[in-house]
Parts: sequence; C-alpha cells; structure tokens
Amino acid sequence: MEFRIRKGLDIRLDGEARREVRPLETVRYYVSPSDFRWLKPQLLVQAGSEVAVGTPLFASKEDERVVVVSSVKGTVREIVRGERRSVETIVLEAFPSDPFRKQVDFAEPETSDEVASLLLSNGLWPFLRQRPFSVIPSPDSRPKSLFISCFDSAPLAPEHNFLLQGRAEEFREGVRRLHQLVGAGCPIHLCLRDGAENACFEAAENVQFHHFSGPHPAGNVGTQIHRIDPIDKGECVWYIHSQDVAAIGRFFLTHILSFERMVAITGPCIKSPCYYTMVYGADISTILQEQIEAKNARIISGNILTGKQLSQSPHVRLYDTQLTVIAEGGEREFIGWLLPGFRKWSLSHTFTAWLFRRKTFNHNTSLHGGRRAFVMTDVYEKVFPFEILPLQLLKACLTDDIEQMEELGIYEVDDEDFALCEVVCPSKMEWQKTVREALFRLRKEIGDS
Amino acid sequence: MSVISHISEKIGRSFEKGRPLHCFHSLWDAVDTFLLTPAEVTKEGSHIRDAVDMKRIMITVMIALMPALLFGMWNLGYQHYLSVGMETGFWSCFWYGFLKWLPLVIVTYISGLAIEVAFAQWRGHQVAEGFFVTGFIIPLIMPPDVPLWIVAVATAFSVLFAKEVFGGTGYNFLNPALVARAFVFFAYPSVISGDSVWIAESADAVSGATPLALVMNGNMAQMPSFLDMFVGTIPGCIGETSKIAILLGAAVLLFTQVASWRIMLSVVVGGFVTGALFHTAGVCPVNGWQHLLMGGFLFGAVFMATDPVTATHTKSGKYIYGLLIGVLAIVIRVVNKGYPEGMMLAILLMNIFAPLIDYCVVKVKVKKRKLNISKHRIKL
Repeated sequence: MEFRIRKGLDIRLDGEARREVRPLETVRYYVSPSDFRWLKPQLLVQAGSEVAVGTPLFASKEDERVVVVSSVKGTVREIVRGERRSVETIVLEAFPSDPFRKQVDFAEPETSDEVASLLLSNGLWPFLRQRPFSVIPSPDSRPKSLFISCFDSAPLAPEHNFLLQGRAEEFREGVRRLHQLVGAGCPIHLCLRDGAENACFEAAENVQFHHFSGPHPAGNVGTQIHRIDPIDKGECVWYIHSQDVAAIGRFFLTHILSFERMVAITGPCIKSPCYYTMVYGADISTILQEQIEAKNARIISGNILTGKQLSQSPHVRLYDTQLTVIAEGGEREFIGWLLPGFRKWSLSHTFTAWLFRRKTFNHNTSLHGGRRAFVMTDVYEKVFPFEILPLQLLKACLTDDIEQMEELGIYEVDDEDFALCEVVCPSKMEWQKTVREALFRLRKEIGDS
Repeated sequence: MSVISHISEKIGRSFEKGRPLHCFHSLWDAVDTFLLTPAEVTKEGSHIRDAVDMKRIMITVMIALMPALLFGMWNLGYQHYLSVGMETGFWSCFWYGFLKWLPLVIVTYISGLAIEVAFAQWRGHQVAEGFFVTGFIIPLIMPPDVPLWIVAVATAFSVLFAKEVFGGTGYNFLNPALVARAFVFFAYPSVISGDSVWIAESADAVSGATPLALVMNGNMAQMPSFLDMFVGTIPGCIGETSKIAILLGAAVLLFTQVASWRIMLSVVVGGFVTGALFHTAGVCPVNGWQHLLMGGFLFGAVFMATDPVTATHTKSGKYIYGLLIGVLAIVIRVVNKGYPEGMMLAILLMNIFAPLIDYCVVKVKVKKRKLNISKHRIKL
C-alpha cells in the first residue's frame, strides 16, 4: 500500500554520511542497562570474569529469560555503579585475536517457541521491541503484527539499504525466522521509502510491503503503525530494526553469533562523515578524537531529535544506527528577540530567514528562550501526522489523567513521536520526557499487556 | 557583545540565591533576558530547538498592532483639532495623540507589570511576556480621555483577577485586556458610555453620538460615510477606528502564522451573515458588510478573538468559536439598544464557552478514533 505523510518536518543539517565504510577497532566496550528502556538489570557477571560472545551479562528482573549478552570475547574490566548502587555501565576489554564471532551449534528450530528460546539464549531477543511502551516484549507474548521500518527519515539518518548492502540473503532469512516466531496469523509489515533504493528488502517473503512518502516522521515506526494497524488498549505490536533482522538472519543462516553492525557518523562538527563498522558497545573515543574539530561539541548517540547525549562511556546504543555531533549553543545575543533573524531557523514565519528560504542552518543546542506555559495551541498539529489531538493528549499526560490518555490514543504513541512537537514548541516544553514519564506511570498502573 | 554579557553576568551574581538582592531575581531575569537571549541549552529530548520563543511571538503581535497605534495617535489629534475648529498639520495631530497615548501606556505598564513581576517572584517563575501585549492593547481600546487612575485600577484588576489568580499567562480563561475594558464599562459607566463619541478634550457642542448609536436610533443621515469608517477618520478608541491599519496588522499576524486564520475568518463570516440576516429581516438598516466596518468589530476579530490562550484549542473548535463571536457581537449590537458595541461582550462570553466547545470537539474526536480502529480491524 502507498501512504503519504503530509504533516511533519525535515530538518536539514550539514554532515550527511558519505557512502564510505571504515572499520573501527578498539579493545574497550561498554554495555549500559539504560540503553534498554525501563530494564532493571540483574547482574550475572563480576568485575574480572571472563566472557565470550553471547555470555549473559545481565538479565531483566521482570523476566530472567531476557538477557543482554556480551558482544565480545574478553574480560569484564569494571562495573560502574551510579546512584543507590544501580548498574550504570559494564566495561569490557576484548582479547586481541578475533573476539567478535562465535560459532553456535543448534538444531534447526521447527516451532515458534524453539525460535524464541534460541533468540533468548543467544541474546538476540532484545532486538525486538513492542508498542505500546517501546520495551522488550515478554517471551510468552505474541504480537498482532510485526513492523520492520526499512528507512529512517530523521535528520542525517543513514540509508538502511546501504547498511544492509550485500546482506539481502541474511535479511530474507531473518524475516523468515521472525515469521516463524510470530506465527502465520500475524502479518509482517515492511515499510519502505517510496522511490528510494530498496534492493536489499525486496527479496523478503511472507510480508506486506508498504511505501511511505513525505517528511519526517514518515520513517518512525509509530507513524507507520498508526497508518497500517493502529493499536488499541490491550493490543501489542512488535517492531525491529532492519539491521537487527539481518543479524538474526545471519545467526540462523551461518550459525555465527555476532553483534557487528554499521553506524553512520554524521553531523556538522564531523570532519569527514561516513559509515563505520563496529561491534555493539564499542568505545568510539578514537573516532571522536580523529573526527571532531570543534572544541565545544555535543556528541549524540542517535539523531538530534531523540538521541542521547554521551559523556562517559561513549558508545552507540543498541537501537541507534547513527552518531551525530553538533555544536553546543548558549551564546547570548543582544536583543535577539527583536532582530530580523536572517539566520534563525524556525517553523514559524516570525524570522526573516523564512522569507529568503534558506536551506541549511547552523543548528546548535541553544534552547532559544525560556520555559513558559502553553500559549500557542496550533503549532503541534503542523508536525504531528497522527489522528490524535497532540495538545489534549499532552495535557492529559501532564495531569496524569489515565482515562483521557487512553481515549486520546496514548497506546499508539511513544516519546519519539513527540520529538518534533518539542522542537517547534515556543514555550520550550520537554514533551518527550512528559510522554515517557506518563507511559511509565501508565504501565505501572495497568501492568504490561 | 561579550562586554554586555560580561557585565550582565557580573550584575546577575548579586541576584543569586543567598545574595541580598535575591528577592528581585525575577525582575533581574526579565531585564537580563530582555537585553540578551538566554544562555540555556537543551538538556533532555530534542537537542535542537526552534528559534521562536514567547518573546518573539509577543513582539510580532506588537508589530502587528503598530499601524493601528500610529494611525490612532494621528487620528486622536485630528479629531480633537476638528472638534475645536482648528486646522493643523500632520505632525501636530500626531504629537497631540502621542501625548495622550503616552501616559495611558505608562500607567498601564507600571500597574500591570508590578503585579506580574511580584507574582513571578512569589512563584519563583520567570516573568511571562503575555502582559507586554495586554498592556499594549489596553490603551488602544480605552476611551482616550479616561482618567488615568481608572486605567490603573482596571489594569490591576484584570491582571490580578483574570490572570494571576488562575496561575498567570497561559492559564487564564478570559482575555485580560478585555476584562480591563469590561471592568471600566461596568464599574465606571460614565467614562465609557456606549452611545457618545470619544473625542479627547472636545468642545461640548460637537460631542455627539457614535455611528452605532446613530444607526440604532435610525439617524442614518448623520452617520459618517463608510469610506471614513474604513480609512478611520472617525472618533473612537485609538486602535479601533482605522480598518486599513487593522487589516495591515491582520496581514502581519496571518503571514507570520502567529494568529489563527480560522478564528479571524469565522468571526468575520459570522458577523457578516448575521448582519445580512438582520438587514434582510428589516430589523437593522445596516448591511452585513457595513457592520464589519463599524465599531470595534474588526479590531476584536483580529487582535482579541485570536488570543490563543483564551480561544478554543482544537482546530474545528476554532471555527465554532469564531462563528459564534461574530454572531453574538451583531446580535448584541442590534438587539441591545443600550450598548451598541457588542464585540467585547461577545468575545468574553465565548472565552467562557471555549473550554466547553473544546470538550465537545474532543469527545467527537475520541468517538471517531474508536470507529476508525474498529474499521481497521474489520479490514484486517
């Protein structure tokens, strides 16, 4: 099916990754439980223990079958703890010779449960996430449909087809196994960018292809679910990144467990933006040293809309395929609110830059104003392509009115769907945080569906 | 630039917590962010933000009000010299109007901002920019020769009871500028009576009835021409007389997308249709389009009804809200002979009903959503 997204916003930045792949080699690796939403870790290793690829590092306290495994062969160097002794990061040090792959012997799985237990025991299960809540699904649950978004529309996002170049066969196998996992009654939706290169995905079988066009957030899985198979209370949908489908495919095809993947290093502060192959958790300090010129730069795992700022233990999170570096803002401007603003980027037409149709702007992290109460009431709808009233839903989230949230469609959305609302908000509210916290309370209230 | 920010940083230190001047930190913050854009950077969520903020939006509204203000100042002088029978040049008319306007605006800002800053300080908030527009509008919709103490009292009343008791800008449900005007209208009816014109310091002999009152009493012959009403060379409040200036302001607001075109359009449509209906029924001699040029209708439609806080917040709600304002304004105007200018009351009344309209729209949307989801289920 064809879908045209009309509301949304493409933010243009310099620093798109060139189609050039470089390897990243490092000995230090980081795994953070905070990379997985709301996962309470139960540590399974200690400082000094030796681990191989696939050795469980920690399990989820909610369900011990869900484990996050080591992506390298080496030793646990350190366990960094934060407030109230919570586990912040597990630091691993890889052995020098070929530490990234492991041969796993297993019999061909016949049933859904066998596929599930293989994914679980080898640490591939966390690739799957469910909506509502964007958490790792329970191994006992099965979704009403599975979504694979095969493009990313966020600023400077990598091309998925390039990430999977030469891995079409692995992707096909991954989809086949996922189909086996979710069962024949559950449709798999493959969402492609209309008019883009999609060669790697077209070989997939037993799937429904959907073509999306239009601005960001066309590539967000939330937008796609909303258009194709909206979620009501008590229902759940799974989704997975296309590169992770290929990783699952490789595991079943070659019996090799490996967490190698490709990540785009992007942003206006990067000297030569390009793609890097790395293992999940790899310390990216060497890339940052080589590539960043600016003194005051912000390093973001993910894109500028939803990514996480990195400081200690710099690594690209499991669900991100992109690293963005932009300049820190905070420079003060004399009566900036009164000046014509030839170089100011705004969705509103209150700055003259709009008149001249400037294409690229020098974006930085300035908030451009102070926090205020709601005043402008129709800005969010311009960038929010859901049949949901954004303002009313956000108000319900702020007031913790669960009934109203449910009626307005909270189960369909996630914090990332409100990223653009947050960007354009003249009152400088933090909507992603509001929605995430509301979802957290909601999940506590109703239990995991 | 760095010199200014250096100085501001130095001064700012005396307002920090624990310092003697901490009790004025909201005031300092207002002055500081007025001079220099804030240094704050994003912390969580989106790492970049739109350059627009409340200050920019408010200044845009003030720019949109400029044509009406400038014309109003000139017209104030022009009407005065006309009434006393003197012929003077452009600049002396303008200067006369400016001198009339200046004390009004100073009194409004002092009385309103003092309360606003005090509340911000008390709550530990930053001073919200909302009052800059409110305080700018109040002198434009008051009779030009209103005693200053009344303006001060009215402003204080509106800021306190229409805004701050509910939590400040963004939480109010009535338009504060209109509340100030309504306060004067009901508390001091002699200064703002609805049927005689406001010419500053006019000679007694010339003061007469407003066009609206003339029409309602059937004196069509004494009425100024509609061209005069469109251009604005008629007596009245500073802001409301020139329809050309108001339309210029409307163009700015629509072009910058600060005000909702849905509300503006539907107010005008509502007013026009109701006016035309009354005209056809023979109740009122004034035609639909002529109604739009009279009194404060257009000023209300462009600057007051579109206040995003007190208007409806839903898209379809905005059409209903605007339409009802237009209808009610003309109904009050035509039916109530005692107070021909109905725009103020119509907007205030619809401000009160705006949450109800939103509530209904949300309910309808929720039902639609449920239907939509069940349809999807059948399809699959």
